[in-house]
Amino acid sequence: MEREVLVTGIGGQGIQLLAKTLALAATQEGRYAMLAADYGGEMRGGPSKAGVVIGDAPLRALPILPSAWSAIFAHHRHAEGVEERLRTGALVLANTPLVDPDAFRDDLRVFAVDAVAVARRVEAPGASGFVLLGAYNALTGLVGAPALVSAMEELLPPYRRQHAAANARALEAGAEALQGVSA
Amino acid sequence: MTETTIDTTQPPVRDARQVADFKPSLILGEHSLCPGCGEPVALRVLLEVLQELDIVQRTIGVVGHGCYGSFVRIMDVDVLQCLHGRAPSCATGIKRVRPGVAVFTLQGDGDMANEGLQEVLHAAARGENITCVMLNNGVFGDTGGQQTATTVLGQRTKTSIDGRDPAAHGYPIPVADLIAGLRGVGYVARGAVSTAGAVLQTKRMLRRAFETQLAGGGFSLVEILTMCPTGWFVPTVEGPSYQQDTMEQTYRLGELVTG
Amino acid sequence: MTLQLLEGSAAIAEAAIAAGCRFFAGYPMSPFTGLLEHMSRRLSEAGGVCLNAESEIEGVNMTLGAAAAGTRAATGSCGQGIALMQEAIAEAALNETPFVVFNLARNQQDYFQATRGGGWGDYRTITLAPKDIPEAVEHTQLLFHLADKHRAPVMLYGDPLLAQTRVGVDIQHRDFGELPPKDWALDGTGGGTGRSRQVWTWAMGKATDPGPGPDGHWRAIAEKFDRIGELEARHEQSDVDDAETVVVSFGSAAKFVEHVVAELRAEGHRIGWFRPITLWPFPGDALAAATRTAQRVLVFELNAGQMVDDVRIHAHDRRAVRFVGGVSIAESGLSYGPLLDAPVIRRRILEAL
Repeated sequence: MEREVLVTGIGGQGIQLLAKTLALAATQEGRYAMLAADYGGEMRGGPSKAGVVIGDAPLRALPILPSAWSAIFAHHRHAEGVEERLRTGALVLANTPLVDPDAFRDDLRVFAVDAVAVARRVEAPGASGFVLLGAYNALTGLVGAPALVSAMEELLPPYRRQHAAANARALEAGAEALQGVSA
Repeated sequence: MTETTIDTTQPPVRDARQVADFKPSLILGEHSLCPGCGEPVALRVLLEVLQELDIVQRTIGVVGHGCYGSFVRIMDVDVLQCLHGRAPSCATGIKRVRPGVAVFTLQGDGDMANEGLQEVLHAAARGENITCVMLNNGVFGDTGGQQTATTVLGQRTKTSIDGRDPAAHGYPIPVADLIAGLRGVGYVARGAVSTAGAVLQTKRMLRRAFETQLAGGGFSLVEILTMCPTGWFVPTVEGPSYQQDTMEQTYRLGELVTG
Repeated sequence: MTLQLLEGSAAIAEAAIAAGCRFFAGYPMSPFTGLLEHMSRRLSEAGGVCLNAESEIEGVNMTLGAAAAGTRAATGSCGQGIALMQEAIAEAALNETPFVVFNLARNQQDYFQATRGGGWGDYRTITLAPKDIPEAVEHTQLLFHLADKHRAPVMLYGDPLLAQTRVGVDIQHRDFGELPPKDWALDGTGGGTGRSRQVWTWAMGKATDPGPGPDGHWRAIAEKFDRIGELEARHEQSDVDDAETVVVSFGSAAKFVEHVVAELRAEGHRIGWFRPITLWPFPGDALAAATRTAQRVLVFELNAGQMVDDVRIHAHDRRAVRFVGGVSIAESGLSYGPLLDAPVIRRRILEAL
């Protein structure tokens, strides 16, 4: 069983990092993961997309996913073409208020979290991407929460290590924001 | 001190021998180059140096393309015959994986200064512990005598039939001087084979170049001015004096960098 | 088995190191740059040498030198840089120096370059085109083996998806069998023995021990490549036995075609797919057998039509062959455009049915 998640946002929201964290967490747990990235040259504000696939056997998934089981929408801009790839009944996590949770197809199961507000509340203002990741994982249970933390720590470059604790708080707060809600 | 008496009324015990008879055993046969060509002289002193330094059995040569290319058949040394201009790159690859082996290149001016100028400059700047030898006769001999980057002003070639003219053909490149200006080089010299004395000097330069390599002293280059009476359109016997009057007036002989 | 999440370039680098590659020289150019950077970081840890050559021509000639000295060596670039290396690849084929060339191409437009060669003389280049990163890991190791087995330069044809996608892979050393010792390699010890070694396209030998010369040598090499052609062709196929339509594709594109054809098969179409794994030797006999019943042989490749020439030569009925691919380039110029996408490929195939 392969699970796909399409992640879309703009540069600066931590899209690539959250996708990489998810893929690495799955790999650390001994499962097969794939991460495909698609972004432009701009450091901030341009399109930033990623696709992650997780499975229990060598993956058959294509590096450009024709369809997906779930998605994280971090921003409304540059999100064209993502919704149409979602299969019927796909799970969507929307980052309010940047993304309008009511603007999706009726057949999709949409959950919302105000990632920026949550991040600020736990004093991790730059970590809204990890809030989204924590929330997404709470909904789907794709990987263990500790694996997300250890993957996050492994991916931090030396000049960002000081953010490890804040990032961990963001992951946890994201998960708590959707506590009791399951997909 | 014992007195030695030679009976001069009798013929000598053995026949006189010529210098050519003392050719190193590393030369396996006759060369087929023109009478008066300086390249075989350079080859000979190079091989003598390998023997004197006792590195014959840990040497790899990289030979380019030119009349001297045929030396691959007559030099008893492990050899890679490589693409025109690329010898310093091949030599770099060889030396990096076999650092205990002495690696040299043998290239003409067409090979090194034309096709392969960037190869030799980069290898020198990188400080590769190799010894590059340029046989400089200021002409593409093997293809019939066209102009190269080292052809001296006024020299007639098939592509500068009225003589090299700076307005039309630019200026010759002094490769040894160019290399000497780079950091990373340990020994750079320019010799000639136009006189017996010059040949001995050149041999000394080659020896010092290899010694530099063996000591890990960086890149070494010996540029050797060699006669090419055929390419220069001069009578064979005038080759050496013509070289002294033209090439050796343009390119200064001597050691340029001694590390 | 331990999975590591690696981008394709890194996986290829690790596979090369696992295969014993100890010399690498290259010049940065997207999407090959990642491989050069990984080798630059990792190769010296493994006891090897990686050089950022000052040009592609210097890089391939450094690799040729290291390989002539007996070391497992590699270089690479994308098609534009491989173009500069053509002379040296031909030279190595003709002086029998083994090394691996990684063409991490920007698209599928270098098929002709790989299979027809732009060097000089009569030579062929064994070329493997993996469809995904796990296969690229296997192919990388296999290529070092094939290079040494046949004493020739060989090629991996990759692309941006291979180079830049990250997947969990386990890189183990693979043993492909015994190889003859490299007694031809230059180690410097031959001097003064009368039997000093030569690596020389003209193979003239020594005055005291003449070689076959260019005539004998180049004929022997041509015969060698004929034998390789019979030995080393590889392919993969599915659902061709009763197929009315067979889709032929290579590399990353083939994984997309596999996916689409499986869908169409499930919807009732009598359709199968055929994938050359070796671009050269092209698995012509296998293709002929696989297209025996096909009324349509559709060739899907991201270029103006290159592999389609080989399909036309070998398909059971060349009149059944139709090109359904095309040139499709991303805005950046550095990767694929919209044609490499399962729904688009599906439409292309359906239009042709």
